[in-house]
Amino acid sequence: MPTRILTVEDDERIRTSLKMALEDEGWDVEEAQNGEAALLKFRGNPADVVLIDIGLPGIDGFELCRTLRRISSVPIVMITAREDTHDVVAGLEAGADDYLTKPFAPKELSARIRAMLRRVRTVDPALRSLILGQLDIVPEENVVYIRGERIAVSKTEMRLLTELASESGATLSREELLERVWGLDYFGDSRLVDVHIRRLRTKIERDPANPQLILTVRRQGYKLQT
Amino acid sequence: MRHSGAPSPSSRSDRPRRPRRWILPRLTLRFRVSLLFGLGALMVTVALSLITHELTRDNLLSRREEISLARVFFNAIQVSRLSGEETTEERLRELVQDLYTPLGARPVIRFGEQWISANPVEFSEPQIRQSLKDSVAAGVAAQMRYAVNETPFMVIGLPYPQINAAYYEAVPLTDIDDTLSALRITLLTSSAITVLLAIGIGIWAAQRTVRPLADIGEAAEAIAAGDLSTRLEGIDPDLERLSRSFNQMASALEERIERDARFASNVSHELRSPLMALTASMEVLNHRKSELPERSQTALNLIASDLEHFKQLVTDLLEISRYDVGVAALELEEFNIAEFLQQALRAGGYDVKVAISKDVSEVMLRADRRRLAQVIANLLENAEQYGGGAVEVRVERAGPMLEIHVIDEGPGVAKADQKVIFDRFFRGKDHSGVAGTGLGLALVTEHVKLHGGSVRVQGRPGGGRGACFVVSLPTPVES
Repeated sequence: MPTRILTVEDDERIRTSLKMALEDEGWDVEEAQNGEAALLKFRGNPADVVLIDIGLPGIDGFELCRTLRRISSVPIVMITAREDTHDVVAGLEAGADDYLTKPFAPKELSARIRAMLRRVRTVDPALRSLILGQLDIVPEENVVYIRGERIAVSKTEMRLLTELASESGATLSREELLERVWGLDYFGDSRLVDVHIRRLRTKIERDPANPQLILTVRRQGYKLQT
Repeated sequence: MRHSGAPSPSSRSDRPRRPRRWILPRLTLRFRVSLLFGLGALMVTVALSLITHELTRDNLLSRREEISLARVFFNAIQVSRLSGEETTEERLRELVQDLYTPLGARPVIRFGEQWISANPVEFSEPQIRQSLKDSVAAGVAAQMRYAVNETPFMVIGLPYPQINAAYYEAVPLTDIDDTLSALRITLLTSSAITVLLAIGIGIWAAQRTVRPLADIGEAAEAIAAGDLSTRLEGIDPDLERLSRSFNQMASALEERIERDARFASNVSHELRSPLMALTASMEVLNHRKSELPERSQTALNLIASDLEHFKQLVTDLLEISRYDVGVAALELEEFNIAEFLQQALRAGGYDVKVAISKDVSEVMLRADRRRLAQVIANLLENAEQYGGGAVEVRVERAGPMLEIHVIDEGPGVAKADQKVIFDRFFRGKDHSGVAGTGLGLALVTEHVKLHGGSVRVQGRPGGGRGACFVVSLPTPVES
C-alpha cells in the first residue's frame, strides 16, 4: 500500500499543484482545506505523513499540530510562508518534525518525507528493545520506558534518541545529528536539533531544566548519559 | 494681519542651523552654571564687604574724634590759662606732663615761638603738617589724619591768639587700624567661603538640572540600540515639552518599524504563495515534458529558468528587506569554522581546496549559521559566475579578526569596481548570459556587517590573474 500524505492547505492552487506533484513522486495524497477537516479525516483514517500550512483559517497550523501530536506520533512537516524564526521555532515546539519555507521544490519535500519514514536504526535489528541504564527504548512502538513509566515519543524523537544511544555515551555534534536524523543534504539549521532535544527532555527528564540523561556538551553537541 | 503661507517644513529643515561661535573653548553647561553662581557670589560679597568696611571705619573714626575732641578741649583750657611773663620753659614742661592723655595721645604746646612736646622723640613740632599749622595760625581749629613713622595719627590743633599760643594733640589710631585689618581678614575669609559655597551649590544645582537630560540621553541610546519600547517617564515638569515630543517620536518610530515589518511579512506571504503553486505546477509539467511538442518544450524551459531566477530574486529581496526594515536579528551559535566550511562546500557540491591555517583550525566562531552559510554560498556562486569558479578557500587570523578568503582565477575586479561591486544590482559591464539576482554580494555585505565584520575584494594573493573576496569576522574572546 503506498504511503498516504495528508496535505492541509487553504490555498486551492497550492493544494492542487502540490497534490499533483507529490502524486508524480509516487505518494498517495489526501487533501484538507482547514484544520477541522484535517482532524476529521485523520481520525477516520490516519495518514502516514501530515503536511500543515501554518497560516490556516480557523484552527491555525500550530494548534492543529499540537492536537495531532496528542493523538499520534505521525511525522509532521510544517510549511511556512515566512522565514520568521519565531514561526519556525513555534512550529517545532508544537510538535512538527521538520519544516519547509515556501516556495520549495516538491522533490525536496519528497526527500524529506523519505528521510522521515526511514526505518529506525537500531544496534541490532533482532533486538526488540534497547536497554541503557534506567532507559528501556522500544523503537518499533515509539515508546520509552523510564523507571518503569511508559512514555510515547514521536518518530523523530525516537530516531534522535536511538542515534544518541547507539554512540553509547559519546558526544554527537548538532551537524552529525542533522545528517543522521534529517538527511545528509540538510545543512544549516540546528534549531531542528535543539528544539527536538528540548521536547525529548521534557518527556524523559525528571527536571528538564537540569537534565541528567541527555547532556549538552558545550561547543560540541549532545550525549546520552547512561 | 496674517502672513500667508508659513514656511514649508522642508524649507525650514533645509536651512542649516548655524552653530554658535565660541571664542573661548566651549565650556560644559555644568561648568558654566557653577561659574555663574561663583561670579554672582563674588560680586555680592565684595560689595557687602566694601560697604561693611567703610561704614565700620567711618563709625570708629568719628567716635574716636568725638572722645578725643572733648578731652582736647579740656587740655586746651589748661593751656589757655597761661600768661605772658611768668611762663617759663620750665613751667610749660610741667604743664605738658600734667595734661590728661589717655590712649597714648601726644600733646604739643606752642607758646610764642616756643614748642614744647611731652615726648619729643615720638611726636614734636616738625611732625605737625604745615597746612595744619597755617590753619591754626590763622585762628581756626583744625584736625588732620596722617601717619608719622608708619603710625597713624589724628592730629588736632586749637589756637589761642589772645596769648599767642596753640595746643596740638596727636591721637594715635593704631588700635582702630588693627580692628579694621582684623575686619578685613574676616571679610575676606567669609567672602572666599561664600564664593566656594556658591560654586558648590552651582555644581549641585547644575547636576540636578542636567540629570533629566542624562535620562533622556539614556533613553535615546536605548532606542538607538533597538529597544523601541523605551519611553521617558517622571521627567521634570519643566522639560515636559521635550519629554512629550521625545515620546511621540519614539512611538512614531516604533509604529513605523512595526508597520514596515508587518508589510514585509505580508509581502513575503503574498509573493511566496503564488511562487509555491508555480513551482509545484512546473514540476508536474517537467514530469511530462517528453509528452509535449518541441515548441512547447522550449517554452517550458524558458519558463522554468525564469521561474528559478524569479524565485531566487524574491528570496533574496525578502532577505535583504529584513535589513531595511530593521528586523534582521542574529541567531548566534558557537561552531568550528573548519568543520563549517567543509560542510558548506559539500552542501553546495563544490570541489574546492580548503586551506586553514593552524592557529585557526580550533577556533570556535560565534555566528549566525544560516547567514554565514549564505555568505559562503553566495561568494562561491559569484566566483562560479564571474571568475570561472573558486579555486581555493582560505581561513586565517588577522589580528582580532578571522578572515575567510574565497579565491578565483577569473578576470579579477577592476579597481574602480572594488567598492561598488557590493552594491545592490551591480553586475559588471558584461553580464549577458550571467545568471544571478544581483543581490548576492549585497546580501553578503549585510550579513557580515550584522556580525560586526566587513567584506572586501582584492587581487589574488601572489599577483596572478583572479580575485580574492575577503570576509573579516570578529572572533569571540577566548574564555
